[in-house]
Amino acid sequence: MVLSQPHTQLSETNPASSHDLELVDICKYYGPLMVLDQINLNVKAGEFVAIMGPSGCGKTTLLRVIAGLEGVSQGHVLLRGQDITGLPVNKRNTPLVWQSFALFPHLNVRQNIAFGLTLTRHIKAEVQQRVQEAAVMLNLEPLLDRRISQLSGGQKQRVAIARALVTKPNILLLDEPMSALDPHLRIRMQGELKRLQQALSISFFYVTHNQNEAFSMADKVVVMNQGRIEQIGTPSDIYNAPATHFVAEFVGNNNLFEGEVVEINNQTIQIRCAQGLIQAPYRDRPHQIGERVTVVVPADRMVIASTGPIENSIQATLRAREFIGSQVIYYLETSTGQEIKLIQQQSLNESLNVPINADLQLSWKVESTILLGERSVDAP
Amino acid sequence: MANSIPLSKPSSNLQTKTPNESSLLRWICLAPAVIYDSLLFLLPLIFLIWIGFWTVDNYRLVPGFSLSNYIDIFQQFFSKSRYAYAILQSLWVSSTATFLTVLFCYPFAMAIAFVVPVRLQRLAILLAIAPFWSSYILRLYAWQTLLNKEGLINSFLQTLHLINQPIEIVFTQIGTRIGLIHYLAPIMILILYLALQNVDRSLLSAAQNLGATRWQVFWRVLLPLTRPGIVYAAVFGMIISLGDVLSGIILGGGTGKSIFGSLPLFASMILNEYAASTNLPRTSALATILIVIMVLILFAGTKFSQSNQ
Repeated sequence: MVLSQPHTQLSETNPASSHDLELVDICKYYGPLMVLDQINLNVKAGEFVAIMGPSGCGKTTLLRVIAGLEGVSQGHVLLRGQDITGLPVNKRNTPLVWQSFALFPHLNVRQNIAFGLTLTRHIKAEVQQRVQEAAVMLNLEPLLDRRISQLSGGQKQRVAIARALVTKPNILLLDEPMSALDPHLRIRMQGELKRLQQALSISFFYVTHNQNEAFSMADKVVVMNQGRIEQIGTPSDIYNAPATHFVAEFVGNNNLFEGEVVEINNQTIQIRCAQGLIQAPYRDRPHQIGERVTVVVPADRMVIASTGPIENSIQATLRAREFIGSQVIYYLETSTGQEIKLIQQQSLNESLNVPINADLQLSWKVESTILLGERSVDAP
Repeated sequence: MANSIPLSKPSSNLQTKTPNESSLLRWICLAPAVIYDSLLFLLPLIFLIWIGFWTVDNYRLVPGFSLSNYIDIFQQFFSKSRYAYAILQSLWVSSTATFLTVLFCYPFAMAIAFVVPVRLQRLAILLAIAPFWSSYILRLYAWQTLLNKEGLINSFLQTLHLINQPIEIVFTQIGTRIGLIHYLAPIMILILYLALQNVDRSLLSAAQNLGATRWQVFWRVLLPLTRPGIVYAAVFGMIISLGDVLSGIILGGGTGKSIFGSLPLFASMILNEYAASTNLPRTSALATILIVIMVLILFAGTKFSQSNQ
């Protein structure tokens, strides 16, 4: 597909971009409502990027902006260094895998996959061959002559992916593609998607509200909230070092405590919380005595005191527990009424030694403590 | 459908009855529809078909089972009364009128479904079907005053010297079609609007996303997806037009001209027979033939709308 030559300064400055996709200062408002607020984001060639956020955070709108299904109020969308902001949707080659799959019910599997190729002049044999390739890649060969209504959810999804890949795009957009699948299938598809992305070495732009999907597949995770990007980072960055209060709350199983800095020395910072004194490691972030801060402690870094080193500890009462595989999730409550979540690798028998409503001491290492600035800083 | 075997439905005896699905209540709920259909549709129809097999002897109806009416009709199919020609005229006028109505109504319904803001769509539909609230006969007479030789359109065109002789529209089958199109359009717009409303919008976006131009979205996705709606609208149009006599008489002049010549419509022929002769069984037999044609069209339409779906 021949795209028009780039005209903007932006694209002329990096003609041979190593980025498949660049979003520059994208803003979109519906009247006074800000749907996308200053989105700046790059997708490197062959990168798997997951956009994560609660519903209404603007992640799907962003996807539709890239596909050209929605316009922008300002900013630029660059595909391989070329400005496609004004390009109509059908000239972009940014195929989308829809949440509802959006397969054409009047066409069979083969015709659905071939759809994108049959819109322009292609030699019949070439169309057949590329449909065949896509079908082999997604294990759809035996289903090629089926009607869409005869397919299961997982099969429909594979057809939707094959249909999107048949025009050999540089980037594939996926809009919560797993949400219509049952949980068992979801796990399997995650592996398959990642394998596919690596085999094709094209970039995936994957929108989801499910952090398991984002963390298990993505090279880069983007957390969005209220039209803004909260944090961009690798899954472990996001998981281990949430940058904002929102990310800490939204991602993973973090416990948050509000407090005030009371003492700073070269190694640790002391914070006074309602639950007692907590120590955090002194990192490069500047803090001042008297500053209001949020202490973040991942649930899987806490232990029930008798088994671990006591560096930081608080008192809490066990209220409930949940078993997930070899993990036990404890739900506890402090004397101030705050709920605390604690995850431990433990056998069922072991965990049953702790009775419900027992008063426990929870502890964690100083280095596992993350400090965030005052909540009001990252509020809009 | 070679793969349909594993997908076949579970046999019905596996279904269990829930306690509140009492069969009596179900019958009470169904009763009005069943009674309505039986009394006002099925019984008269059966009676009509039945009378078609009676005979007349000395001006008196003789019940029985005789094919003499049909034999008589088919003997006059191409001669004397020339029923075949009237049927041909009817099919020609109805199918062209229906085709033109669909052609006119589809873009209209599309405009309502896709261009008119959602909150105004009900109002738009209401306005589209508003002509239905005025009397059909009055509308036909209105058309006559507009279209006849001294009518508004002819005198207007003559004043502008665009034509020297008035164009003959009334008392040709073109007039009949105009009346039929005006009659059919409101309901067809409604049927087509519903068909268009049913189309999943994300399929249209998906087609565009895969590279389809607006025309390709229309021909490759929207039109095939609304085909059942179009077929039902067309079948509806055919059946209504085949049974209509008023437009053919008031605007078509009874035996209006078409490319097949000045021939009456089959429905007005039946009406004339009924008015002129005393042979009710024979008229019933003619009506039965019309009904059979309509049923065949209905079946063909159903078949056509389902194939490939």
